[in-house]
Amino acid sequence: MNFVLGTTLLAVVTALACALPGTFIVLRRNAMLVDAIAHAVLPGIVVGYFFTRDLDSPWLILGAALAGLIVVIGSEWLSRTGLIAGDAPQGLIFPALFSVGVVLISVNFSNVHLDTHAVLVGDLNLAAFTQFTIGGVAAGPSYLLVMGAVLLINVAFIAVAYPWLTAATFDAEYARVAGLRPRLVNAVFMFLVAVTVTAAFNAAGAILIVALVIVPPATAALLTSRLPRMLAVTALIAVGGAIGGFWIAYWLDAATSAGMAVFFGVVFVATLAVTLRRRRRRQRVGTRVGARVRQA
Amino acid sequence: MTPIEFLADHTFRMVFFGTATIGCIAGALGAFAYLRKQSLISDVISHAALPGTLAAFLVAVVMFEVDGRNMLALIIGAAVVGTLAALAANGVARVTKIRIDSAMAVMLTLFFGIGMLMLRVVANGPFPGKGGIQSYLFGNASTITVADLVTSLAVGAVAIVIMLVFWKEFAIRTFDPAFASVLGFRGRLIDALMFATIVIATVIGVKSVGLVLMVAFVVTPPAAARQWTRSLPSLVALSAAIGAVGSGLGAYLSVALGDVPTGPVVVITLFAIFVISLLCAPRRSVVMRAIRRTRIRKTLRARLGADV
Repeated sequence: MNFVLGTTLLAVVTALACALPGTFIVLRRNAMLVDAIAHAVLPGIVVGYFFTRDLDSPWLILGAALAGLIVVIGSEWLSRTGLIAGDAPQGLIFPALFSVGVVLISVNFSNVHLDTHAVLVGDLNLAAFTQFTIGGVAAGPSYLLVMGAVLLINVAFIAVAYPWLTAATFDAEYARVAGLRPRLVNAVFMFLVAVTVTAAFNAAGAILIVALVIVPPATAALLTSRLPRMLAVTALIAVGGAIGGFWIAYWLDAATSAGMAVFFGVVFVATLAVTLRRRRRRQRVGTRVGARVRQA
Repeated sequence: MTPIEFLADHTFRMVFFGTATIGCIAGALGAFAYLRKQSLISDVISHAALPGTLAAFLVAVVMFEVDGRNMLALIIGAAVVGTLAALAANGVARVTKIRIDSAMAVMLTLFFGIGMLMLRVVANGPFPGKGGIQSYLFGNASTITVADLVTSLAVGAVAIVIMLVFWKEFAIRTFDPAFASVLGFRGRLIDALMFATIVIATVIGVKSVGLVLMVAFVVTPPAAARQWTRSLPSLVALSAAIGAVGSGLGAYLSVALGDVPTGPVVVITLFAIFVISLLCAPRRSVVMRAIRRTRIRKTLRARLGADV
């Protein structure tokens, strides 16, 4: 497969794998938690590297997913103690973990290719560099296999757990009373989110991950308020945004991940502008009709 | 390195006082953000400030042909664009059914992405004095000059004076917004002023501790201070003290440990202070609370056993 085509495909699969669970995160009002997880992944990767000395080891993903879970569980525990107000628990834990990662890198591995800059921005092209071969022919980036597996797991989980997941998302109280185990569902879901963020981390970097997870579903939420339709629109926006963002960044010779993040943001702002204009026009028509009715 | 050697060196002294000043100001001003439960907005402001600082750099270099790393220009650029992003997030949350958390995440990635694109342009372009511009992300305290220290002291002092002058208004608006409107305070105006202080608290550390970790400077000191105190004046004072001491200590450690960026070490130091506060504060200690709870449970069980 051609390198650019393979990288585009990797971008699309990564965007889809992130955006689908993102729909539920947006509905649960947990968007900033993804930002926290994405930052906390760094020390997990560094510690994993410390033991394996191999940047491609699957242990790194596991270690990083555990670090992500520390943020989820830790901030939940801090809120439950009732000693920390508002959204502060998340803001307390992830900068600390991220700092641990940065310090570990600068103390131990300043000569390794584990640049804090690359961690924030990520590099899709770099992730797509190692190709896997079928019958001696380069068939695509090997990381495509990892992201493809994550995407499959996410789709399977959402499909199978759909009733439990919707109940836990929209009405946790009802879900508890009906015996739908919302806490267990939440735990499994957040673990999957942590794994997804970690896997995508290699390809996207912390900031683009937040864009990939949150922006497509947030844009979809502007357009529809039915969950099945929202999932479909989210998938469409994720695919379109990944292709459009990647090619525009490629064409402008800009940083790929940053370019994609900005492209998704621009799609959101454009959709917002259109919906607001449509709403205003509808209101104006409404008042005109109202005035005519009053005259009659 | 002993602390005396540390303070005898001019560069290290600047690092120490520069970071301690930032910690003190951010700690004092962060207390109100914490009490209003809007701590994470400072994460949005700090990330969104990246394109602001780069725009300020470009304007200073290209239009005025002065040193682009001028601290005041950086602070103004960061404050303007950071405010813009935070207002955009609040606006989206107000006019659509999208919640504030998603709105914040969207604006954060949009603005930070623009910043990263600009960083690439600046890094590849022929601009004088662009060296070290990459360190806006994590900061580089060893580049603080006397002029920088004076600038951050002045800007921080303005914000703290605003807070002290409008102390009563801030307090009432924070604890009882409805009562504040009944008394005839203009809520919008007070909100804007409080917001301005939070923005200043967030962007003041752009040069020395970096944008990415600034949220910790605003959130951690008040969260730690809150465990020890129950009154507003002592919360603000203690938060400022914790910010100053934690940042100074962190700056010392980062120099003593060798080639370690200052910002992350300070954040870890502040977090350690927070954990100690959470575990040891007399009234709200997690440990003491668990012990008290088991004791009460035991007496209750003993009493019930006696009755039965």
